[in-house]
Amino acid sequence: MSTIVITAPDDQQGTSTPGKKSRNHARTARRRQTAIRLAVFAAFLILWWGVTAAGLVKPLFLPSPGAVWHAAVQANSCRPVAAGVERLVCGEQNYFMWEHLIASLQRIGVGVGMAIVFGVALGFIMGTIKPINTVIEPYLNFLRSLPPLGYIGLLIVWFGIGDVSKIWLLFLAAFPPIAMATISGVGGIRQARIHAAQSLGASRWQVMTNVILPSSLSEIFSGIRIAVGFAWTTVVAAELNNGIPGIGGLAYISGTQLQTPLTIACIIVIGISAIALDALIKNLGRVLVPWHGKA
Amino acid sequence: MTAVANGPIAGSVPSGRRVVLENISQCYTTDSGDTVHAVSDTSITVESGEFVCIVGPSGCGKSTLMDMLAGFLTPTQGTVTIGGERISGPGQDRGVVFQQPNLYPWLSVRKNVELGLKLRKIPASVRRDEAKRYLEMVGLEQFMDRKPYELSGGMQQRCQIARVLANDPEIILMDEPFGALDALTRERMQVELLQIWRKRKKTVFFITHSVEEAIFLGTRVLVMSARPGRIILDETINISDENGSPLGAELRSAPEFVRLRDKVSTAIYEAQGVTGMSPAQH
Ligand SMILES: Nc1ncnc2c1ncn2[C@@H]1O[C@H](COP(=O)(O)OP(=O)(O)O)[C@@H](O)[C@H]1O
Ligand SMILES: [Mg+2]
Repeated sequence: MSTIVITAPDDQQGTSTPGKKSRNHARTARRRQTAIRLAVFAAFLILWWGVTAAGLVKPLFLPSPGAVWHAAVQANSCRPVAAGVERLVCGEQNYFMWEHLIASLQRIGVGVGMAIVFGVALGFIMGTIKPINTVIEPYLNFLRSLPPLGYIGLLIVWFGIGDVSKIWLLFLAAFPPIAMATISGVGGIRQARIHAAQSLGASRWQVMTNVILPSSLSEIFSGIRIAVGFAWTTVVAAELNNGIPGIGGLAYISGTQLQTPLTIACIIVIGISAIALDALIKNLGRVLVPWHGKA
Repeated sequence: MTAVANGPIAGSVPSGRRVVLENISQCYTTDSGDTVHAVSDTSITVESGEFVCIVGPSGCGKSTLMDMLAGFLTPTQGTVTIGGERISGPGQDRGVVFQQPNLYPWLSVRKNVELGLKLRKIPASVRRDEAKRYLEMVGLEQFMDRKPYELSGGMQQRCQIARVLANDPEIILMDEPFGALDALTRERMQVELLQIWRKRKKTVFFITHSVEEAIFLGTRVLVMSARPGRIILDETINISDENGSPLGAELRSAPEFVRLRDKVSTAIYEAQGVTGMSPAQH
């Protein structure tokens, strides 16, 4: 009897400690992971610096980390046109670097934004009306399998060399993955979910807005994530033609003008922006679809 | 607990309609191309206000029968009419409690219960009161603002029941609704259901695998045979004390109850092809 009384609290501790332990364990593991990553990054910088400082590679091919940093700072500030001259020149190619970045992001925003509106709408229609799906699916597949840069020439003929053709390009690039994801989301809904709403008196339209849309939200978000990643690589490449302002355009022009430090700075900005954009959408999805994987 | 709805929302459908299943059959084609004859040439007439319990071996076509009543499935043969009108799909007049909770994870428990009223554009304040009343009835008032996936399976099932009852359907279709509940909650829900049925004159179709539950709840028990399902026993239940009022908890030991239980159980065993075994031993 007394042993039971004594062991009971022990048992409770026994069940609570492993949880705490594993949480601590996870935190240490994460901290160690971060430390390793930082160390490797530092080693990489030192190696880069060492190679350039020792003069192993010409600065034109590989500038030093300091030069790249300097190029980035200069691209975001104003400086005299030449030593001893009053007139200032700001940024690069008449825009600050962040303005170039914003210009590219803006194109993405408009192109992908339109792709979300039309892609989700088409996905809904295709997902719910079988004959329409049968008719349109091959074309959607065809569009999806085209590399967007393959048809940029045609878009330039149609819409000119300016922003309109680039936005069309991004729209066409982002549209298929979003439509496909929506179709798959709509198609994957358990029939009973729809039946439950119908028995509560839902009309066709009410079933759409109250059941089908929220049910497919999670898949739509994965589609948007894929589309944005795809659109980002596409916009940078599309800015080879008349891409100023634009971060891809700046990377390209600076390369052709042998401003290698600026080119490398642009590449770093492009990569970091892509990762940040992806993380943003991922977290947005987590906030808007908190039930994902739970129900 | 005893808050049985006598609420401001009157049924939107005229009551008193008779449900008639006429020679209905249902065949499925499986993915491998076989034909499954789930329900065969079944006719049932149910008057308004009846509480019909359907029992039978698993896989005999009970859920299929329910799907046809709900309007999810069109019978491959025969017709389902309500008040003389052929049904054409699901509708608010037939509330369905599924075997699975089928709640919407993006809505809170309260919003799930309010959903039917919201779809019918009933004012928010009325909706709130109704939802609260039924959530209290099923014992979930403290969990109103939780999300369904934060509840246990049994709680989710009670939430589904509240959602259907709050929508005040004329006919309630329930497919093994209390299967996931513990014995105590189950008994409480049975009593609540009976009270609602009596007060609001509902027609109830109730599938269960518990013979006792069927006899306790029903005014009529239908036994279905193994596939292809058809009705092999149609028993009217009328157990009351000397004064003619229905018995309460002591009902289960009444001689008439025991007699009915044995009769129904025997029919089920025969339906499964098991004979010569006394169901009383089980
Ligand atoms: N969608 C379907 N496709 C093929 N066969 C089905 C389908 N639904 C049910 N069945 C079959 O029909 C029979 C009756 O099923 P069901 O009505 O669910 O039985 P119960 O609810 O009585 O257990 C079963 O044998 C089942 O395998
Ligand atoms: Mg079933």
